[in-house]
Amino acid sequence: MRLPALCLLVVLCPFAALAEQPVLEISGANFRPMPLAVAAPLTQDDGAKKPAAEFDAALMYDFTACGLFQVLDRKGYLSDAKEGVTATAIKFDNWANIGADSLVKTQLSVDGELLRGDLRLFTVAAGREELKVSESVSAKDPRRLAHKLANAVYKHFTRETGPFETHIVFVKKNGAGRDIYLADWDGRNAAGVAVGNINVLPALMPDGGGAAFTSYRRGKPELFSARVGQDPAPLVFAGRMVSGVAYSPDGKRIAYSVSDGENAEVWTAAADGSGQRKLTDTRYFLNSSPTWAPDGKRIAFVSNRAGNPQIYVMSSADGSGVKRVTFQGNYNQTPDWSPRGDLIAFTARDERNAFDLFTINVDSGKVTRLTQDSGNNEEPAFSPSGRLILFTSTRGGTRHPYVMTFDGNNQVPLPIDKGDYSTPDW
Amino acid sequence: MLSVAGHVVVVVLGLVLSWVLAGPKVELDTPPIKATLVRLGKPRDEKLLPRKEEAPPPPKREAEPVPLPAPAAVPIPSKNAKPEKKARDERKSLFDALNKTARAAPPEELEGAADGDPHGDAAKQEGERYYALITSLVKRNYDVSDTIPEAERRTLHAVVAIRVGTSGELLDVQLKHGSGNALFDSAVLSSVKKTAPYPPPPAHLKDGLKSNGIAFDFTP
Repeated sequence: MRLPALCLLVVLCPFAALAEQPVLEISGANFRPMPLAVAAPLTQDDGAKKPAAEFDAALMYDFTACGLFQVLDRKGYLSDAKEGVTATAIKFDNWANIGADSLVKTQLSVDGELLRGDLRLFTVAAGREELKVSESVSAKDPRRLAHKLANAVYKHFTRETGPFETHIVFVKKNGAGRDIYLADWDGRNAAGVAVGNINVLPALMPDGGGAAFTSYRRGKPELFSARVGQDPAPLVFAGRMVSGVAYSPDGKRIAYSVSDGENAEVWTAAADGSGQRKLTDTRYFLNSSPTWAPDGKRIAFVSNRAGNPQIYVMSSADGSGVKRVTFQGNYNQTPDWSPRGDLIAFTARDERNAFDLFTINVDSGKVTRLTQDSGNNEEPAFSPSGRLILFTSTRGGTRHPYVMTFDGNNQVPLPIDKGDYSTPDW
Repeated sequence: MLSVAGHVVVVVLGLVLSWVLAGPKVELDTPPIKATLVRLGKPRDEKLLPRKEEAPPPPKREAEPVPLPAPAAVPIPSKNAKPEKKARDERKSLFDALNKTARAAPPEELEGAADGDPHGDAAKQEGERYYALITSLVKRNYDVSDTIPEAERRTLHAVVAIRVGTSGELLDVQLKHGSGNALFDSAVLSSVKKTAPYPPPPAHLKDGLKSNGIAFDFTP
């Protein structure tokens, strides 16, 4: 009898150890930028010396503003500025001692009318070359060379295309008028799209070559489109006040707002302005600021049908299925739908009357604050990848464009002249 | 008969020992517990837009004593000195008046709950308080390199199991479920180790945390 009891005891006792562990959820990782050292470019001939400064400035800005890296201050570098660019020539201890995880070395040379850049990326701890890439561009455009090389580094780490060769549009105040410019992602190389009169609320064309926008050039707000170097052409009139255009993700349609006396409604049309269709129909209320979901099936917009401006979504086909999205705050405006589909960024006025940027998760409704206690921050525009947000901020005194990560980190001003900027698009 | 029974016992013992050495079982399909530690404070009106959660301030250092200034030498007034006393008195009275009306901005009151925890970092409490406390502590050390590709982040998922002693000492750490990304696995293990020693568990959790331990389900 003792033996069966003993067997039973031996078998049963360990079951206590098989009891399940409680499992706690941990999310919200602190994604820290990778400490990156970027050595000043070496020039292999005299012709490369002149564009080197512009190239260097653009490369440093690209790495700093993309949110992926913590670019280490060159004042702290221990290695000689003339140190070589190959693994055998580099004293990796010097870079490790300043906290660099990765190191970028570049060389510039001129070949006729072309400026050539060779970039090497090293892992400091292993002392190993990870990436070697060369690009050539017109010698007149050293910043473009920097953007190409930065994209190669970005893609090496993230396996995604970087933002550095994309374009933005923005409005800049010019006396009593407002002009629209198309520029590189960093605001440089700006070219006029609509200069003279009052031109506002631009929407970048899907191919990045121009913009659709609202203009008062004929006395009342109407939609026009223009490419750099071409005169603006009328897009939609409807005989009334038309504003706030947004292109669909496939570029084949536009959404906009038409004001008619006491109300304003959201309409859609083909990209050339034909086939206009009204989506909202609310007497005495204002519906405006449409933005497309990345699949093109829904549109988010602002409506005051609940008594104050809030954000709603509806079907882009016929305006059905209207659903209110924001329930916190009493003044929510300028929505922009992330190309990833999960978030809508918007401007809101909080209980302290400060304008700040927020995102709302479309599925869960969770609202996340992106800016705070830094002047007024408005008019968000997601980058094509959805990883970054372009916006305007008065934190520096004047309204200036800034870029930050989609979760509100790494807020960096665009390296352009001070002025009064507004309503950027990306 | 006795020999057969003996063989059975040895086989059973062998099987049982192998189960015991494998450790407590982590059910990966069971939804993890979400626990947040509410800070001590006033609840925020739910109709208001959220505020950004700030990291708790570092502990204050004791200020070094400020040396008293040496007394100023009193000038010997000259026979022909002009009376400046009146101008100085006017300036002083103006500054005193301004100082009386000036008020320092009141420190911002972080929202929480009346019964919140001084170490809390969230506006709302969820779950068992001890679990919420250690979740909050591990999160502070949850640093991951930003270079992990975006596409990969969405699917990253790792589970780390620990056992905690009665005084909060870290007894054991195991990666129960790897994410497939070495950087992420290294980061989650590091976050759990850096948090040690943990706060001493309360009486009703001591034995369980020492014998079975607890697991953390990490997602980015």
